[in-house]
Formats: sequence, structure tokens, C-alpha cells
Amino acid sequence: MSTVQIVFLFVGFMILLAAWMMVSRSNLVHSALWLVVALFGVAVLFVLLEAGYLAVIQVLVYIGAIAILMIFAVMLTRGDVESLTHITNRYAGWAAVMGAFLLFGLVIVLGQWPAFQTTSPEAIESANPVLDLGMAFVSPDGFTVPFIVASVLLLAAFIGAIYAAFPRKKGE
Amino acid sequence: MLLDYLPIAVLVAVSTILAVVVVALGGILGPRRKDKRKSEPYESGMRPIGPGTRKMPVRFYLIAVLFILFDIEVVFFLPWAVVFRQLGLFGLIEMFVFILILLVGYVYAWKTGALEWE
Amino acid sequence: MIGSISSEMILAILPEIVLLALVAVIFVVDLVVSDERRGMLATITAVGLLLTLVLTALFSRPGPEAVLLWGGMLRHDWLAFIFKIIFLVGALLTTIFTIGWEPIWRKGEFYVLLLTSTIGMTLVGASGDLIMLFLAIETTSIPLYVMAGFLTRDDKSNEAGFKYLLFGAMMTAVMLYGFSLLYGFTGTTNIYELTTAIGAGEIPAAVLVGAAVLVLIGFGFKVAMAPLHFWAPDVYEGAPTPVTAFLSTASKAAGFAALTRVMVAAFPSITLEWTTLVAIGAALSMTLGNLIALSQTNIKRLLAYSSVAHAGYALLGVAAASELGVASVVYYFLVYVVTNMAAFGAIIVVYRVVGSDEIADYAGLHRRQPLLGLVLLLAFLSLAGIPPMGGFFAKILVFAAAVEAGLIWLAVLGVLNAIIGLYYYLIVLKVMYVGESKDADKPLPVLRPHSAGLVVSVVALLVLGFVFGPFYQWAVSSASALF
Repeated sequence: MSTVQIVFLFVGFMILLAAWMMVSRSNLVHSALWLVVALFGVAVLFVLLEAGYLAVIQVLVYIGAIAILMIFAVMLTRGDVESLTHITNRYAGWAAVMGAFLLFGLVIVLGQWPAFQTTSPEAIESANPVLDLGMAFVSPDGFTVPFIVASVLLLAAFIGAIYAAFPRKKGE
Repeated sequence: MLLDYLPIAVLVAVSTILAVVVVALGGILGPRRKDKRKSEPYESGMRPIGPGTRKMPVRFYLIAVLFILFDIEVVFFLPWAVVFRQLGLFGLIEMFVFILILLVGYVYAWKTGALEWE
Repeated sequence: MIGSISSEMILAILPEIVLLALVAVIFVVDLVVSDERRGMLATITAVGLLLTLVLTALFSRPGPEAVLLWGGMLRHDWLAFIFKIIFLVGALLTTIFTIGWEPIWRKGEFYVLLLTSTIGMTLVGASGDLIMLFLAIETTSIPLYVMAGFLTRDDKSNEAGFKYLLFGAMMTAVMLYGFSLLYGFTGTTNIYELTTAIGAGEIPAAVLVGAAVLVLIGFGFKVAMAPLHFWAPDVYEGAPTPVTAFLSTASKAAGFAALTRVMVAAFPSITLEWTTLVAIGAALSMTLGNLIALSQTNIKRLLAYSSVAHAGYALLGVAAASELGVASVVYYFLVYVVTNMAAFGAIIVVYRVVGSDEIADYAGLHRRQPLLGLVLLLAFLSLAGIPPMGGFFAKILVFAAAVEAGLIWLAVLGVLNAIIGLYYYLIVLKVMYVGESKDADKPLPVLRPHSAGLVVSVVALLVLGFVFGPFYQWAVSSASALF
């Protein structure tokens, strides 16, 4: 087994454990912290796939911003974070059965895909993938339109978020 | 390639181990004399009023949302900044448009007072 | 290195550029204008949208051959063009009907959100790439979530916005999962390269069908296809009525634009599987929508369920997966956007004076404002599919497409549903024309912009019924762009 495989197995188990802990905690703040662990594990997976920039984004956006937002949201909405005692309802058993069924189905079906048997091609050796990404963002036969649309989307989200969340005075 | 990340891995490993060891040592070596006063949260000597987990004002949330949006802008700026010398005029104009659109949102946030803390 | 930009590329995104400029104008006006004169925001938006519409029709017309532009991100073809026209008309009429609607029409935010949503829609219709499509769908949806919950002091509106956001985000995640599976298996995000990559990749059929189902669920939610319609009644009822009008016409048309393009272009190898699913969805939508609409007492809820049923009729054309099918979908939405806008416009006018959306309060409307009664009559008859209104031909076309594709059971079910539909539309008309009310002598004034909007919609729906040829030709050329 190569080093990469060992790291992958270790990180994979770490993500699964963190994900399980996240959904099974009754304290929402603990859940959010376990989510951070899982997200960090995903960042490591990106590194293993030689997608360094994605790993940076994962840490910067997901751990740096979205996890914070979730913790804020928990604190905003719930005075007593531990009051939620029932995290499952009576359908939990059925959901588990369905989930297991789906998992086995996926494993069996995906196992038929011949591409899994072939070894993956070496990642395209580029001097710097971030360079390529930057080029793709601004070249007209690349992702120019999505790039600009992304800014429009951010603008709409910006205005929408401020409009919806801005605390108003009475009568406004 | 992957060896480039070794320092980060070492950093993560050392900090994790250090945290575990320090907490464990404190638990093992420290004296344990529990009483009611001691298990209360420390509030500079005052008696605490209510639990520490109170509702926070919604403004924190707004700030966090704005932070995410600016954060995602950074994600777009970074690859552009790496190559902007090779991109020439077109790249400059495009980034200008990108920033201009987002600037509109920024002006809006400013104008409505979303960035102020009353 | 970097490629160059041709004038064709610019012309293809001309509507988006003009709309973006309009957003900037609204912003500046919103910042400088005094509180008393804020009403001009709606006028500027309406004029700007009209200008966009004219510029699009004049300069952004595609050639006979469909071309992929901007690195395959956008496809400049007749399907995209016609849907752009539909979205712009929807946005324009929505803007007109917001005039006088407190407090919306004094808020620059509202028009900025409306315009960004429209930009998203025009791009949804033209997307040739999954990344582009996803961004466009999000640009469409996120402003709509806020618009549905725009009345922050109104609990129902808040509930509508919140429900729409939660379900919408969830379904977008499902759709994105489907997109990511497609990319993972084929290595391409271009919708037009997916087909060949799917053929070459020896992907297990079950996985491909699974991915197609996930994508279908995402689009099905946007068009309120049963059983994914559960959000529609609450959101339609709670949202401010102009937003409801926009949601039920332009936003629904955007979902159909994406649905037809992606399904027809990317999944020809599993046509039987996905058309069967769409056919089931169509049958459920028509039947559920019409049956539940029968018992509604609130006119917005009635139109919400009726719009679920209409999504079902249009899905007949999608399920046919043929040129006639796509043409019928396009024609259906050409008609549906003006018809539903006329209906919602009349509801907005009534609500302004009466302050209620209950059907019972429409009693005696005919005597209070005969022309408004006539507008509602024509719109509802068109929705019911009575000749010679546009709705009649739209229904005939989708049924013909279903029969041509061998889905005779579905066409029969559609005809039965049209009869049920006729019943509840007639009930409203009966209340309006025969019902007695103590307010029957009180006049019901109509704002001038509103009457202009109503007249335009009604004339359009009559023209689409009487002058069938040229518009059908549009629909056919947009369908042939897909095959």
C-alpha cells in the first residue's frame, strides 16, 4: 500500500467518524464542530487528488466562513443549545434501511462501471493549475460568461441577504 | 507534489497531539476538588446571571453572511491575480466588470447601514 | 492564449448586457431619488424591459443554424431566443402590475432582484453547459426566494419565502448531485458533448438513469411537477401577487426551457426511461392539480393548483420528446405567460380595491367593472382551453404531440382533465357574473398602467389564438434547433 492510500484510508475513516458524530450529537454546537472536522477531511481528500486550490477554497470558504455561519445560526435561534433531546423520530429505522439499501445498490451498480478497473490517468502535468484556472476564467472560449454571472449571482445574494436579514425599525 | 503538503500535515499533527497531551496532563496531574462554586462559569468573581448560551443579536448573522460573500469573491480573485500579467487588456476589463458588479452590492450594503454597528 | 470576441458573441448576450445596465440604472436612481418620487422605479424598469425586448427581437435573433458560443457555455438558437422573449414579456408584465402595490413598488431592491432573476432565466434558456446552467438556475432562484418573502412584516409572505428557500435549496442540491455524477462519468460538462461521452463511457444504464432522475427531480421542482409540487400552493398564496404571477409564468417557463434542452440533448440513449417518468409526472400533475383546485376558495391557491395542472399539460409535450413535442411546449408557454399574466393582473386589480383574494368576494365583479370581468373571462377561458383563445391551440398541440409519440392514454387523461379544469374556471366566472354582492354598485377603479398591461395580455392571448401560423412557425423553428 502506498502512502497516499494509507493517508486516504485514515482520512476517509476520519470523515465518516466525524460525519456520524455530527448527525448523532444532540448539542448543535458540537455538531457544527464535528462538521468542521469532516470538512477538513474533505480538504485533505482534495489534496490527495492534487486539487490544491480546491483544498484552499474548502478551508477558506467552508471552514472559515460557512461553519462560522452555522455556529452563529445555532446561537441566534436557540437560547438553550442542549434542549433538543430527540434527534430521531419513529421513521429513523426505515430511513436507515432505505439508506443501506441505496448504498448497496450504488456499490453494486457502480462496480459494473469498467472505468473503475482501469488505472487513473496521470493528472495533467501543469506548471500551476491555478494559472490555468485564472486563464479559463477570463478567456472568451473559457468560463467568461459563468464568471460574470457568478458576480451577478453574488450581487443578488448580497442584496437579498441584506434585505431579508437587516433588522428594521418598527413601521418600516 | 504531495510532499509539499508535509509541513501542513506536521503542523496539524503536532497541534492535535499537543492539544490532547495538554488537556490529558491537566486532567491527570491537576488536583480535583469539586464544589458548587467551582463548577460555575468564571465571571471575574461575580455570580453568573443565567446560562452562558444566550441568543445573540441577528446582526452577527448579517456580518457572517457578508463575510461569506466577500470570501467567495476572494476565491475568484486569487486565480486571476496569479495570471493577470498574461491576460492583457481583456482580462483587466473583465475583472473590472466583475468588481464593478460586486461594488454595487457593497455600495448598497453601505447605504442601508448593514455595515454599521449601532 | 486568450481567444477573441466576435460581434456575434456580444449580440447573443445582448439582452443580459442591457438588463445588467438596467440594474445599474435602478441602483443609481434608488440611491438619489427622494422618497415621494420612488414610484418612478417601476416605470424605469418597465421602460427598460420594453427596450430590452425590442433590442432582443431586433438584434439578438439567431441564424437558422444553432451555434455554440463563449466556449460552448451558451447556445444561440431559436429555442433560447423564444424563451428569452417569454421571460422578458413575463418580467415586463410583472413590473407593470407591481405599480401601486405597496410597499414593493417603492423598493429599488425589488426591481433589482426581479431583473437579476430575469438575467438568470435568459441564461437558463441558452445554457449549453452544466456549469453555466447551474449558475443561471441559481441566479434565477435566489432572487425569487427573497421576492417571495419580500413583505417582511407579513407572516404569510415570510413563510412563503422561507419554504421556497428551504425546498429550493434542497432540490438544487439534488440536481447538482445529478450534474456531478454526469460530469464524473463523462468527464465533460458540455450538454452537447455529454451524449457522445455517454455513448463512449460504457456507463451502467442504472447509473445513467439515476443521474437523469436526479436532474429531472431538480427541474421537476422548478416547474412544480407532481409529486414535487407541494411547495407551490403555499408559496403562491403567501408571496405578493405580482411575485406569484412571475413565479407561475416566467420561472416555470425557465424550468421547462432547461428541462427540454437537457433531457432531449443529453439523454437520447435512455429516452424511454425518462419519457416514462415525465409521462407519469404529467399524469399526476394534471390530475392532482385539477382535482385539488376544485375545492379551493382562495383564487391564488386555485391558480396555484391550476398552474400545477398546466405544468402537467406542458409536460405532455416534453414526454413526447419529439420535434412536435418541443414545439408544443414552446407554444404552450407563449400562450401561458400572457394568459396567466392577464388572470393575475385582474386579481391584482381586484385586490387593490377589495383587499381580498377570496373567490366569494368576486361576486358581482362583472357589474362593478365590466371590462375587468371580460379580461378574467377571456383569461380563464384560455386557461380552460376554449376556442378561439390561444389556450385552445396550445392544448391541441400538446395532445397531438402525445398521440404522435404513442402516449394515447396520456392524451385521453389530458382531455378528461381539461374538462375538470373547465368546471372550476367556470365556477369562478359564475360567481363573478351571476353572484350577488352588496358592493355591486361600488365602482372598481383600474390604474392606467394596469389596464395597459391587461389589454396587452388579452390582445396577445387572442392573437395567439386567431393568428396561429407565424407563432407556430417560431415554435417549430425553436424545436428544430434541438434535434
